[in-house]
Amino acid sequence: MYAVETQNLTKRYGKTQALKGLDFMLDSEEIMVLLGPNGSGKTTLLLILATVLKPTSGTAKVGSYDVTKQPTKVRQVLGISFQEARGFWRHKPAEILRFHAAICGVPKSRRDTAIEEILKDLELWEARNKLFMHLSGGQAKRLEVSKLLIQRPKLAIFDEPSSQVDLRGKRKIWEQIRKLREEGSTILIATNEVREAEYLADRVTILDQGKSVTCDSVKNLKDEITGGDIVELELEPGTDSARLQEELKQIQGTVSLVSGGENRYKAHVSIAEAWVPKMTNLCFKRKTRLLSVRVTEPSLDDVFLHFTGKALETPKNA
Amino acid sequence: MLRVLRLARNDFSYFFRTKWLMAILLSLNLSDMLVVALVYRKLMTFDYFQFFVPAVIIMGLFVAALDTGRRIWLAIREGVIHYYLSLPISTIGIVCAYLLAGGLAAVVYSGSLLLIALIVLPAHAVWNTLVLFPFLFVLAMGLAGIAATLAALASTHGEFFFAYQQIVQIVLLTLSTVFYPIDVIRQYLPDFLVRIVSANPLSLAADAMRKYTFAGFPIEPWPLTTLLLASLPFTIIGALAYLAALHTIQVKGKL
Repeated sequence: MYAVETQNLTKRYGKTQALKGLDFMLDSEEIMVLLGPNGSGKTTLLLILATVLKPTSGTAKVGSYDVTKQPTKVRQVLGISFQEARGFWRHKPAEILRFHAAICGVPKSRRDTAIEEILKDLELWEARNKLFMHLSGGQAKRLEVSKLLIQRPKLAIFDEPSSQVDLRGKRKIWEQIRKLREEGSTILIATNEVREAEYLADRVTILDQGKSVTCDSVKNLKDEITGGDIVELELEPGTDSARLQEELKQIQGTVSLVSGGENRYKAHVSIAEAWVPKMTNLCFKRKTRLLSVRVTEPSLDDVFLHFTGKALETPKNA
Repeated sequence: MLRVLRLARNDFSYFFRTKWLMAILLSLNLSDMLVVALVYRKLMTFDYFQFFVPAVIIMGLFVAALDTGRRIWLAIREGVIHYYLSLPISTIGIVCAYLLAGGLAAVVYSGSLLLIALIVLPAHAVWNTLVLFPFLFVLAMGLAGIAATLAALASTHGEFFFAYQQIVQIVLLTLSTVFYPIDVIRQYLPDFLVRIVSANPLSLAADAMRKYTFAGFPIEPWPLTTLLLASLPFTIIGALAYLAALHTIQVKGKL
């Protein structure tokens, strides 16, 4: 049985179709990242699973519970951290967490210790006496994430968990999410941040315009890109560059080769591990000295571009 | 059930945390009670304190219960309602929690006004007040139901909610015996409106408080049963309206 399963799931808001027959599966105790630009249907999917929204058609199950027919049962096994922090304006962070812990059935004996621990770990301890309405965007977001870290549900859903949070805070949140999975939770994260996805994901589902484009591990997705690996070379001065350039292009697996200045080349290759030995062999034969070799793999942004034909990271969401 | 109570307690505390609202309500109600009622008592031929203070208390109950609508509207606007819908509590439970909290906040608030008034009232008034309070609680839940309906109608337009609230307040208070005795109303209003005034739960509550708490008559079951019957439809309509609003949010994503 899957931790989450949707079949032919659709959601319409008036004339806008946010999800178009989505089939999606999530295994127990894995971290699945939903990657997609704004408007791709990530948040809609999460809100349907959390029973906040009702699907227009299709089915969605959390464990064995149907989100439409057994919403209260679903709510007992999952927790969601919303994209925009949801808090009571006139309550303090500790009070908000205490309420959340109590209503989600966290044992009373554990509540206060857990709250203090999480507030300190996510650097909210100093802000514990501020009202929610006076918290900064980053603090409110960290508080939103803290709710799930206290609740520790079987299925934890995070919608852009580290948006508005500084780099140091992001790392802390990511570590806590990993720890949550190690303790047995299944994690579903929606994000449009490539670094977040790369750091956390066991598998990535790419969503575009309400549909799942592909789903696999980060490594497999990157390996699917032809010419995804980039090899940057620097050769010793005085090399017969025109001839060598032609020969480098002939190496099996070369997708393109461009000159990056004098004696510098940038090759897009299918699998760098196979290409680099052939290239060094060629240089040895030509008695050409290699000054440096740098291999970089494609980012998830390249993966997204490959599968959808669009860039994921725009200047706005990068 | 425990979760419903926790949610109710949370919303209940939110009412008393809204300091600006508390300041406005208390200053208005206390000045009415301690200045208008006590001073006018000396100027009029009848005991204006005994007539007017129950009116102030019922008005306090009314206004505090109507604030439930403001809190519901805020929860919708700020997305807190999404948070509630994700908690391990049924949708009906959320509705019940709001009405319970609205009723309780109104009773506690008006109770504090009554405590101040009790300083000048005889001891037997305390017992009658204790009997009367559960009925006032049901009335307050009904009024909270009206507020929930208004919040559902207003959707995300806060200004509409406050406009609706003012209209309901004017209509319900004007067509009641809260501020004028029924004899005065009979002189100026047609018969069908007099009947509405008599059936208005605010009239029933104000009259019950005047008679049992302030005048000290022994409690009679029938007027209190009438108060209960007049309040329940408001509670039910409010609960249904709020449920419908939550359903709309779940289907359309907004109201």
